[in-house]
Amino acid sequence: MKGITLSAIIWLIATAGAYAQVDIYGYFEPQYTGLYLNDDYNQTQSNKLRVDLKSTALENVEFGADVIYLLYFGKKEWNVLDFLPDRVTSTIAPELYPLYRLTYDDSFYLDNVYVRIANYRLALTVGKQQISLGTGYFANPTDVFNTKDALDPTYEQPGHNAIRGDLFLKYRLSVTVMYTPIVADWKNSGKLVRMKAGIGHFDFSLIGYEFQDTTTNFYAFEEYQQRRRLVGADFVGELFGLGIWAEGIYNFVEDDDSYEFLVGSDYTFESGLYTLLEYHRNSLSKSDYQDYNLNDWMRFFVGETKTISQDQVYGLIQYPITDLTKLGSSIIFSVSDQSIALVPMVYHSLFENVDLTLMLNLSIGKEGKVFSSALGTGGFLRAQVYF
Amino acid sequence: MKNQINLSILCTLLTVCCLFVSPLPSAQEMTADEILRTMTETMNPEQAQGMMKMTIITTSGQERTFVYETFSKNQGEKSLLKYLEPTRVKGQTILMLNDADDIWTFFPRTKRVRKLATHAKKQRLEGSDFSYEDMGASNTFIEEYESVRHEDEKKEERLCYKLELTRKPDSDAGYSRIIMWVDKEYMTPLVIDYYHDDDPELWEKQLICSNVQLIDNIYTPMKCTMYNKLDDTKTSMEIIEVDYQVDLPDHLFTEMGMQR
Repeated sequence: MKGITLSAIIWLIATAGAYAQVDIYGYFEPQYTGLYLNDDYNQTQSNKLRVDLKSTALENVEFGADVIYLLYFGKKEWNVLDFLPDRVTSTIAPELYPLYRLTYDDSFYLDNVYVRIANYRLALTVGKQQISLGTGYFANPTDVFNTKDALDPTYEQPGHNAIRGDLFLKYRLSVTVMYTPIVADWKNSGKLVRMKAGIGHFDFSLIGYEFQDTTTNFYAFEEYQQRRRLVGADFVGELFGLGIWAEGIYNFVEDDDSYEFLVGSDYTFESGLYTLLEYHRNSLSKSDYQDYNLNDWMRFFVGETKTISQDQVYGLIQYPITDLTKLGSSIIFSVSDQSIALVPMVYHSLFENVDLTLMLNLSIGKEGKVFSSALGTGGFLRAQVYF
Repeated sequence: MKNQINLSILCTLLTVCCLFVSPLPSAQEMTADEILRTMTETMNPEQAQGMMKMTIITTSGQERTFVYETFSKNQGEKSLLKYLEPTRVKGQTILMLNDADDIWTFFPRTKRVRKLATHAKKQRLEGSDFSYEDMGASNTFIEEYESVRHEDEKKEERLCYKLELTRKPDSDAGYSRIIMWVDKEYMTPLVIDYYHDDDPELWEKQLICSNVQLIDNIYTPMKCTMYNKLDDTKTSMEIIEVDYQVDLPDHLFTEMGMQR
């Protein structure tokens, strides 16, 4: 099956390139990751190739797709239990340990493939596509499609299967409707509506979404599904010279209603120093680290939940030390359990189409906390070569 | 907002590079304000579409080249910039409305539209010597500065009006002082010296425009170079093509327009 898919994609690329006005571009991204954990140094290298196709051969019609080929070397298999406190792992029978392995397998897949038909007022996008909602930087409560990596929140997100319509009613007023047929039936598929308006220097959005939410019980490896409805809002604008934004949702579910919100602000000084601060609260998460259990950790690692601790503050500073190099650091402070992750970073534009990123990760917290030092100290060096 | 516009003339100049020349009755007798107003009024064509090449010479001497399309309407009140090259930034789009008081950026790889606060305009555009605010268009020179006319001088072998602009006390424009030389025939600024935000004696940047050509009855400097005197870098903008006889739809200057 994989061979057929591969052949089909190669055929698609070749045919598209030969017959239509197709742009072919993308990037190659080698990344070296190191982690010092439990007195051992572990290393993994990944090589990612992304090839994008885009055709606008027909007026008002855009076809886009990208394929990703990912190869891993070095340590590819990790066990989540190695990162967790004894208090949690001691509840699991040793023979079940292999079930908590996370393996980085080589992969080749179509990340996005869509067609977009648009005129000046209406756009219809069908297929697997990028969906980006919300105004937050560190996290997006209104975006139930993606879970950002807290250490690298701007990294690209995977595509999602959806039928999306954007209707521009008037200047700075639009409505988006989306149908996400992830499951087999209409009733349980996702339905989203979002209205966005611009007033003065502010953009506001209101959002409503219902979908089938899946959570996993990682003690029994059973999935539990329930209908989830949410309403939310976001805005972005400026106040007293500061950039400000906020977004939040309220979830209606059978079990227990919950809410999540984020507020943030940023400012650029005359020197070019950029600063950002966000506060994020997720009522579904725990306020006492002694209550973190296996499900909390596993759901966090697999992306079923955005955070383990209930309250966190995210800070970011970046400074352009030269015209090609930026130094910076982010810090994530869990207000709930008083642990900290520090992420120093360097961005350098090596050549016109080659970027380098060095990012370190230092966790400072007692065992069992969300940023426990038991999670190890590590970092990665990433190159992005665009073509 | 109007603070950024001090550069905005420059920005219009560079981004759109459309400098009208109106007949100037009794030009010899014009005051500084009249010269500035005439230049500002004629610098922004009603609409323009073009393709520009931006070349950055970095502190290490490396050269970086960007090519982008530009669209502007309402005398620069609305503008849109879409990168074509290099592939690293291809498809990235910047929308500026209300004379660059409102800025949105679109990133095609993530399909994310981000609204920037005005402070972000201080950030360099792709490491160049131009900031976002430099790329917006407006009449900051008039609204944010007091102007004085000095004795005419020759600059770049052209006879020029020499004006000195001093930032108004209540203004938060990005430069404390500006000296500019305006071509008496073309009414285009040929040289602009920018002085630091905090120190009126600290020379920060110099813009030099050259190769003025008459396109659709509009005198257009085909190349402008910004020299950063503090960082010892420079960035040049060259017009690859420009068309002033266009009828750009309003919907081009929307989120939808950014994504097309």
